[in-house]
Amino acid sequence: MEKTILAVDDSGSLRQMLSFSLKAAGYQVIEAVDGQDGLDKARLQVVDLVLTDQNMPRMDGLTLIKALRAMPSYQKVPILMLTTESGDDMKTKGRAAGANGWLVKPFDPQKLTEVVKKVIG
Amino acid sequence: MLGSQVKRLLTGVSDHGRQHLLEVETDLVQTAFLLGEAVEKLGASFFALHAAVRAQQGEVELLLADIDVDDPKMASLRVLRDEIGQHTNEAVTGLQFQDLTSQLLARTVQRIIGLRNVLSELATQGGELPPEGEEDAIVTMLNEINKKLDTQSIELRDLLRKAVHQKDMDSGDIELF
Repeated sequence: MEKTILAVDDSGSLRQMLSFSLKAAGYQVIEAVDGQDGLDKARLQVVDLVLTDQNMPRMDGLTLIKALRAMPSYQKVPILMLTTESGDDMKTKGRAAGANGWLVKPFDPQKLTEVVKKVIG
Repeated sequence: MLGSQVKRLLTGVSDHGRQHLLEVETDLVQTAFLLGEAVEKLGASFFALHAAVRAQQGEVELLLADIDVDDPKMASLRVLRDEIGQHTNEAVTGLQFQDLTSQLLARTVQRIIGLRNVLSELATQGGELPPEGEEDAIVTMLNEINKKLDTQSIELRDLLRKAVHQKDMDSGDIELF
């Protein structure tokens, strides 16, 4: 059965590239336009992986991760940050919030799918 | 006399500054819009091209299945297929330019709005200067204006944390915790 990934980013073009890359690798993709939309969609369906940006309106990535980790159904779901941020202080905050990995934009589709495969198969 | 001259200067700096900054803001917003449109068109064309190439590859494979093609030609087709895959990856990486540039533009626009507010404050504070007051009173007020400007500038700087450090479009690092 196809694994499902929730892709959260306020950039439409970025979501397009993510969906294109992940679908080509055989994954189903649910898109969310910001952290709040991501949380709403995560509540409707438990996904296999969450890929989230950090700087978004309404709810940022770190807040989304904390909210997801507070849900019993999302305590073990892998969450990866995909963001322009590369500083150690942000990565430390991400790890403390519950992120399992950090990808710096722009992403390479092959490297992205290799990491996703490593994390969820 | 001194007070009214200083008042006039502050008002002038404020008015001219705000006028030019408004033009800069308008241009940046237009740039962001055009970049958004461009990436939409590029993206649509890229996906259409990709779909067409995939379909063509499929047809070629079907054709080759029916005929006896020598190994070098098959190897050559495989190499071309791999090249297409590589170029596709590079295009997807490159097409993410709009996400990064729109963040930079948004930050720049915020800074310009902040600067316009600072200049407005300059005019407001300058309006309270006594036109014909004593020099000491004018100096005191100017010091107050300077303090307010310093505070606003620091507030603006704290609000505009730099989130985009990329200097090129090479793909970024990956770290699993």
